[in-house]
Amino acid sequence: MSTPSAKTATSGGKATTKTTTTTVVKTTTTTQQTLAGTRGAGSKVQKPRTTAAGKKVINSHANRELNNNGLMRFSRGRMFHRRALYRINKWKGDQAKLQGDKTKKTAGSIKKRRSPALKKKPVGGDRNGKERFVRSKRLPRYYPTEERPKKFSVKRKKFSSHPRRFRSTLTPGSVVILVAGKHAGKRAVVVKHLSSGLLLVTGPHKLNGVPLRRVNQIYVIGTSTKIDLSAAKLDNLDDKFFKRVRPAKKNAEKDIFDSKKEKSQLSDERRQAQRTTDAVVLNAIKANADSRLLRKYLKSRFQLWNGVLPHKLRF
Amino acid sequence: MTSSKKVEKPQGAYIKKGRLYVKAVFTGFRRGKRNQHENTALLKLDGVNNRRETNFYLGKRCAYVYKAKNKTLVPGQKRLNRVRIMWGKVTRAHGKSGGVRAKFNRNLPPKALGRRIRVMLYPSRI
Repeated sequence: MSTPSAKTATSGGKATTKTTTTTVVKTTTTTQQTLAGTRGAGSKVQKPRTTAAGKKVINSHANRELNNNGLMRFSRGRMFHRRALYRINKWKGDQAKLQGDKTKKTAGSIKKRRSPALKKKPVGGDRNGKERFVRSKRLPRYYPTEERPKKFSVKRKKFSSHPRRFRSTLTPGSVVILVAGKHAGKRAVVVKHLSSGLLLVTGPHKLNGVPLRRVNQIYVIGTSTKIDLSAAKLDNLDDKFFKRVRPAKKNAEKDIFDSKKEKSQLSDERRQAQRTTDAVVLNAIKANADSRLLRKYLKSRFQLWNGVLPHKLRF
Repeated sequence: MTSSKKVEKPQGAYIKKGRLYVKAVFTGFRRGKRNQHENTALLKLDGVNNRRETNFYLGKRCAYVYKAKNKTLVPGQKRLNRVRIMWGKVTRAHGKSGGVRAKFNRNLPPKALGRRIRVMLYPSRI
């Protein structure tokens, strides 16, 4: 409470206020700069151009964002008129022509190769004047009275070319709980993402009887346990490989009386694929730090029992 | 999978299957005091006590399992069985205490009131 300390306090206070004001100014400019960098969704971010002298070129006909909320000042139609590219490009071409600048490609400089409209064709008969001029492209023989409605190209993609998305927990090498089907409750390893959107999964077969199998993502719970399968090369395994082979259709007469169901035999190809992929997966498990635990884990089953609530479990 | 006679089934294949569904009870149809709408069933899931917890179960398939007098074919089994199932799915939460609404392919019979309904773990979203 002595005066010298009060003085220092005030001076200190003054000093601090000064510094604070300066810093405040700095921050606002930086924030303005960063905000200007983020634009509305449809606007092109244009790099600031500089003239030869080094001055910034500000295009007064450019669109700008309103209050950083993603809306632009001028609509698409207005911008079309403001930029007048429909007119400017033609003007540029004309200028180039005037200057004799043939290096620039203009609408006129690109000469279209036109075939002559009339062709000479030989004509038979003595008194027909051996040759005649004939149109090289015939005129249409039918002129519709009404305009045909224009078919706009349908941009609908075929389902087969839709992008397939995979859950982030179901990466190749992650251990997964099968939740439905014959192998429900078993834990398996995701081997690959297939192009159809399905997962390729294997037990490995030695551990829990789950074969190399395709599985839909919705019948699978992804766990946080991952095995490193990055070294594996599994190119030949795709949807074609696993597609169900249906027996060829026989004559109708035969079908009625021969009602035997042909059992699907496991092909050697499949067995081989199983063996090779399982070898890779088992090696990866061995290489893992918790290999013993992992093998026991994959052998075990997932179950719910009293007090276990899946919405509270962390998988 | 038809396994050949040469290959023995691995040790891990013989473990008995456990419960893979969440227990729920059919508490009633959606209703006001004096009108009830049988197309929507209300379920109380075991251990789910507030609205936030029901998020996990939205969209999950549910099954009302019951027995009938006549035996019918059950998919996946060769023997005729008395067990029958009515399938449905959890559509949304109901109230703030963890109740849930479900719609079944055909409305649940009223004798299912108070009976067990199985809420499966698929379609899984995790």
